Amino acid sequence: MAGWLFVITLLLALVAVHRPFGDYMYKVVSGRRNNVVERGIYRLVGVDPSAEQTWGVYARSVLAFSAVSILFLYLFLRIQDKLWLSLGFAGVPTHIAWNTAVSFVTNTNWQAYSGESTMGHLVQMAGLAVQNFVSASVGIAVAVALIRGFAGRKTGTLGNFWVDLTRITLRVLLPICVLATLVFMIAGMVQNLSGGTDVTTLTGATQHITGGPVASQEAIKELGTNGGGFYNVNSAHPFENPTAWTNWLQIFLILVIPFSLPRVFGRMVGQLRQGYAIVAVMAVLAIASIALTVGFEVHGAGTVPQAVGAAMEGKEVRFGIPNSATFASATTLTSTGAVDSFHDSYTAFGGMMPMINMMLGEVAPGGVGSGLYGLLILAVITVFVAGLMVGRTPEYIGKKIGAREMKLASLYFLVTPALVLIGTAAAFATGNNSTALNVGPHGLSEVLYAFTSAANNNGSAFAGITVNTPWWDTALGLAMLIGRFLPLVLVLALAGSLARQKPVPESEGTLPTHKPLFVGMVVGVTVVLVALTFLPALALGPIAEGLS
Amino acid sequence: MRLPAWLAQHIAALRALLVMTVLLGLAYPLVMVAVGRIPGLSDKADGSLVAHGSSLIGQAFTDKDGNPVAKYFQSRPSAAGDGYDPTSTSASNLGPESVVDTLSDNPDDAKQSLLTQVCARSLAIGKLEGVDGSRPYCTSDGVGAVLAVFYRDGLTGPITRVVSVNQTGTPFLASYKGVTVEPAKNGEDYVAEGGVITPIRGNAPAKPVVPSDAVTASASGLDPDISPAYANLQAPRIARERSMTLDQVQKLIKEHTDGRALGFMGEPGVNVLELNMALDATGN
Amino acid sequence: MTLLAEKPATPSKSSAVKGGLLDPQQLWKSLPGALVKLDPRTLWRNPVMFIVEVGAVFTTVLSIVDPSALGWIITVWLWLTVVFANLAEAVAEGRGKAQAAALRAAKQDAVARLLRDGREVAIPATELKLGDIVVAEAGDLIPGDGDVIEGIASVDESAITGESAPVIRESGGDRSAVTGGTKVLSDRIVIKITQRPGESFVDRMIALVEGANRQKTPNEIALNILLAALTIIFLLSVVTLQPLAIFSKAYNAAAPDTTTINQHGVSGIVLVSLIVCLIPTTIGALLSAIGIAGMDRLVQRNVLAMSGRAVEAAGDVNTLLLDKTGTITLGNRQASEFVPVEGVDALRLADAAQLSSLADETPEGRSVVVLAKNEHGLREREPGLMTDATFVPFTAQTRMSGVDIGARQIRKGAAAAVMKWVRENGGHPTEQVGEIVDMISATGGTPLVVAEHVDGQPAQALGVIHLKDVVKSGMRARFDEMRAMGIRTVMITGDNPRTAKAIADEAGVDDFLAEATPEDKLAYIRKEQEGGRLVAMTGDGTNDAPALAQADVGVAMNTGTSAAKEAGNMVDLDSDPTKLIEIVEIGKQLLITRGALTTFSITNDIAKYFAIIPAMFAAVYPGLDQLNVMRLHSPGSAILSAVIFNALIIVALIPLALRGVRYKPSSASALLRRNLWIYGLGGAIIPFIGIKLIDLLVQFIPGI
Repeated sequence: MAGWLFVITLLLALVAVHRPFGDYMYKVVSGRRNNVVERGIYRLVGVDPSAEQTWGVYARSVLAFSAVSILFLYLFLRIQDKLWLSLGFAGVPTHIAWNTAVSFVTNTNWQAYSGESTMGHLVQMAGLAVQNFVSASVGIAVAVALIRGFAGRKTGTLGNFWVDLTRITLRVLLPICVLATLVFMIAGMVQNLSGGTDVTTLTGATQHITGGPVASQEAIKELGTNGGGFYNVNSAHPFENPTAWTNWLQIFLILVIPFSLPRVFGRMVGQLRQGYAIVAVMAVLAIASIALTVGFEVHGAGTVPQAVGAAMEGKEVRFGIPNSATFASATTLTSTGAVDSFHDSYTAFGGMMPMINMMLGEVAPGGVGSGLYGLLILAVITVFVAGLMVGRTPEYIGKKIGAREMKLASLYFLVTPALVLIGTAAAFATGNNSTALNVGPHGLSEVLYAFTSAANNNGSAFAGITVNTPWWDTALGLAMLIGRFLPLVLVLALAGSLARQKPVPESEGTLPTHKPLFVGMVVGVTVVLVALTFLPALALGPIAEGLS
Repeated sequence: MRLPAWLAQHIAALRALLVMTVLLGLAYPLVMVAVGRIPGLSDKADGSLVAHGSSLIGQAFTDKDGNPVAKYFQSRPSAAGDGYDPTSTSASNLGPESVVDTLSDNPDDAKQSLLTQVCARSLAIGKLEGVDGSRPYCTSDGVGAVLAVFYRDGLTGPITRVVSVNQTGTPFLASYKGVTVEPAKNGEDYVAEGGVITPIRGNAPAKPVVPSDAVTASASGLDPDISPAYANLQAPRIARERSMTLDQVQKLIKEHTDGRALGFMGEPGVNVLELNMALDATGN
Repeated sequence: MTLLAEKPATPSKSSAVKGGLLDPQQLWKSLPGALVKLDPRTLWRNPVMFIVEVGAVFTTVLSIVDPSALGWIITVWLWLTVVFANLAEAVAEGRGKAQAAALRAAKQDAVARLLRDGREVAIPATELKLGDIVVAEAGDLIPGDGDVIEGIASVDESAITGESAPVIRESGGDRSAVTGGTKVLSDRIVIKITQRPGESFVDRMIALVEGANRQKTPNEIALNILLAALTIIFLLSVVTLQPLAIFSKAYNAAAPDTTTINQHGVSGIVLVSLIVCLIPTTIGALLSAIGIAGMDRLVQRNVLAMSGRAVEAAGDVNTLLLDKTGTITLGNRQASEFVPVEGVDALRLADAAQLSSLADETPEGRSVVVLAKNEHGLREREPGLMTDATFVPFTAQTRMSGVDIGARQIRKGAAAAVMKWVRENGGHPTEQVGEIVDMISATGGTPLVVAEHVDGQPAQALGVIHLKDVVKSGMRARFDEMRAMGIRTVMITGDNPRTAKAIADEAGVDDFLAEATPEDKLAYIRKEQEGGRLVAMTGDGTNDAPALAQADVGVAMNTGTSAAKEAGNMVDLDSDPTKLIEIVEIGKQLLITRGALTTFSITNDIAKYFAIIPAMFAAVYPGLDQLNVMRLHSPGSAILSAVIFNALIIVALIPLALRGVRYKPSSASALLRRNLWIYGLGGAIIPFIGIKLIDLLVQFIPGI
């Protein structure tokens, strides 16, 4: 019961902030005025904030920024031992540095390393955490660019990436993070530059209590749906998530931007109800997923959970089973990938749910920005089929979905499943699945989960698998890289194509894309077209395990 | 001289990244570190350190050989390093159907399945606390009660052979459906030989006496808490060891039990370090 | 010969669009054509079916190398799947070809009487060039499309319109166009040929109905992209399964080798079956048939679309421009009421009005006589019997007509003219007449004042006849439907705004364009398009050409000029402006059919997963048999049943593809709800039933 109350209060809190926070973000991305700091930044960067960019320029700006970021972070990781606050850790080995650089720039935050034994404080704050901010801003910026495409009236331009990046970072992410850091410190999260303290335990052993700028990184880790933990065990670590209520707050921070962005969509296209429809799709999928995950975990099927009496392996006492399952849902429904319990030890079906959440394309509500644009693409595909059924060539928010739009949308929704399926098959075909900790169907799940997580830029894992081998680091790095930037470019191309169109006025004959029927259809398309694609693979992993 | 557009774009990108790095990577965390120096907050920002560790970080209350120190409440099993090592945090990551041990002559190659770990812990705790440590799917000697059943036609047909895969000694069952159960041999992989893995429920109570958190490793390996049920299970031993009344111990447990936050968040937990320190403070 | 045998008897009566029926014999006759289409060089244009064919080739090879009953039966059904798809297309094309053949027959033999330097030269019609002048007399076939430049003749156009009544074609004006292959019934006309060789109307019509130069329409291309993407994703999903299957089989060593899975993974035949069942074969097979059938349905209604794009655009139309006369109203105005002035009783007015109209043979005149008879029981008097009556015909100068019966003179006509006549004859028109006239005008009617002058007395205005446009019955309901569909109807009329408004209100159109010139029409279309709307209109005159060209759907009347026909993208051979509404409905029906079958195809997959996945893997993980919710007999029968269902559903849906899904004009919400329930839910449920039923049969095949 308390578990459901936990979910319900989260939902209520999200509903409460949806409107004001959505409106605030709307003002941030569509306002004309830049404040002093922002103007200073534009001057330093050397860009003209009033210059409107076509989709090509916007995309190249995103790609240039991301390419520079990957290179910068890679070098930073490689030479961390030469810099301050490295805590004596060596430079990160090449394949892990590549994997980590890609991982953080793509908002995946897959961790092929163990934070407390690999990363110094400087690289954590000035390398990894910076990408936590900007990769989140990039996601939101691209989503906003797509909305501008829908809202645009034959302009062909999508705004200015540098302005979006700066404003979203400074006006949305940073203030909330400052606040969240304070709250987290009050809860007991560590925030210092200490290399740690050796203490003598009650029984006379020595324990090394670690230190570091944890709270400040934790805030953006959740808010930006990044998920890259300061420590190996992520949000299960008492220093990253000390209490049951910080657990609640972290889930809230994970969900708050993705669930509020549809409001921005509604405001920008001038039809709030379209935003409500999108948020309704997200909510239906999310609630169903959370309910199933919590249900499966509380039920605790499987030999070991039956022997134990509960699915308690890999979960913390202070969170308990229902709240841990809720966190697992939230983190995989978004592109976060932070964990407060270890999915690998979940029941077969309880562990399948996070995989399915990601396989849906992380759209309910998805990563910051990426969730919205992913869902809008699904809406476009739904509109195409549904639009035909009302006897018109399809249109969405007044924009015709023609061959070009369909090509871009289809490619978008091909990319991630292709990466997941090909990657998983390749791991088995090359024998690299042997690094899985578990055997049989569960071992298969570990491999499938790894590629699902990487290609969808999630970052969580069935962590039993050992992935810091060159093959895995390279393969997952590629999956993350392609899984992030190819869809992103396709989205911007779609935005450009939409922005060039003149809007078609709405009439009685127009497919209503704000009614429950359409909401249901998008849910259906998401489940049938996307999730079912993975059913054969899931049948050999969690389903085989769960039905044994 | 004008730079080519692509180069100008990348230079702008680099500048933007550097500006962001200074702002978000240095200014923001360092300001927050500075804020963390505020008296009242600094203790927490430095890791809630107490006399013998951190009140947030669990620790093992075992002796050098890893045996429980009887006068202390015991923490949960930990997969962090050798146990409660904050420099090597980890969960076990073993799945719900991890039921077959790898038996080997060489202890380095041998690997216990999660089921056997659970069974062994339960048995040990049962012994330590003087209660019934039996669990479903566990043998009385504390390993997973799992058979490899060989059928004539693979998955069907009459049974031809049965092996208790986790036991090299006397099998927990003499016979299975009329076929004599053999003990396992080291180094054999009975699944690869065609055995169908069949866990045997046994007749242990569905709700074992030893609580679930006592037999499972936590997510972080640093879980500072145990469930009130596990604390209460240990209470008689503590009372005995410390010559306290059970009531005294139970009162202490209650004092150190954190209920659910706001009544619905998380689960009640007992902070073991604080409880043990409180025990020591009683002078018993 | 009636060319278009399938033409419905009353095309415009029912608002639900009907299509042609499918004759089972057609399936049989189209079979050779379907087999020819197996050629991969043509099939690759349809990516979905191409994959099926590649799969069929693959299973054929596998079955030859390693024969098994299951392998061969599945192979046969995979080939049948491709054949059925081709059959759908062939049947659709076949129906067009039958029409084309008839058209071609009409086109042969024609000999052109070419006028060269004033002399007539007989040459074959096929050698005519643009600009040639030819002569056609009674009994001649008109050798090519052209405009009449001299003379007038009645022409039998039944060969292309199916309408047996002859039509008049004359030089100048809007009825100058003649079509090659039609027959002159009387008189002699001189025609200037407006076609290039091989590009005559009939040529184009033949090409279109045959589907010879059929190009994919924009929406079809977009849909094909989606289908290709789905095909790729399912292909990937199945192909990448193999390493996982090998791993799983190797792990679970206890699982015996079966026909579906062994240590080399899932058998090729099963993998191909899974791919074929998952990719959207239903819509992939029927997509082009739907398109051809859509064009065909237009042709059946005697509408010739120049491109499939135009048909699609018709479904999207937001605004319909309709000519008032002939479309919204009956051709002429009719008397609807006699309004006497004070002191005159209605009977007297009716009598006078009837008398004055006896010799008036215009529809308006006849309607006055009829109204007097119907309303006041005044029997119609034969003008010939009234020996003392002198009828005064209408002239442009007097703007009155009437009758003189002895000393009694009756006049009726435009208010100003009649009142002038009253005053001239010593009468004193009352103000009341003016009031009545204004009132009638205000409601859009045409007032005809009736006055009487008996010698020796002052002339007196008796009252006013209210002539009004009669809106065709059922139009209001039709326009309400249009509105429900989100289509604005706009009435185009030459009337003054007041009259136009009244009729617009009565007919229930959304807007009107009064005193419309062709330029106004063009401007109106541009304005609508500026707002992102798609406009459809009909037109016949040369001066309509720019507007027809500008409109997204421009339907030229076949009676119209060549210029109009060239400018539009459809031609209505019946020259019935009301047809525009049907064209829109056909366009919508075409799109709905595509959407419905796509939805059906996609939701079908759910059941197929539940049939095939347990069939493939239950041999490795027996627990997966719990997914076999249909309790299918064996892995082999499950896979076979899914494949057979997948093939049969194509045949079962051919009639639907050709006929189009039932379409009732209604709002988008209602349409979506209805089609989603039927084709979405139906698509999810039917295969469960179908596969189970087929399984009950195939389980008796030995070795399955």
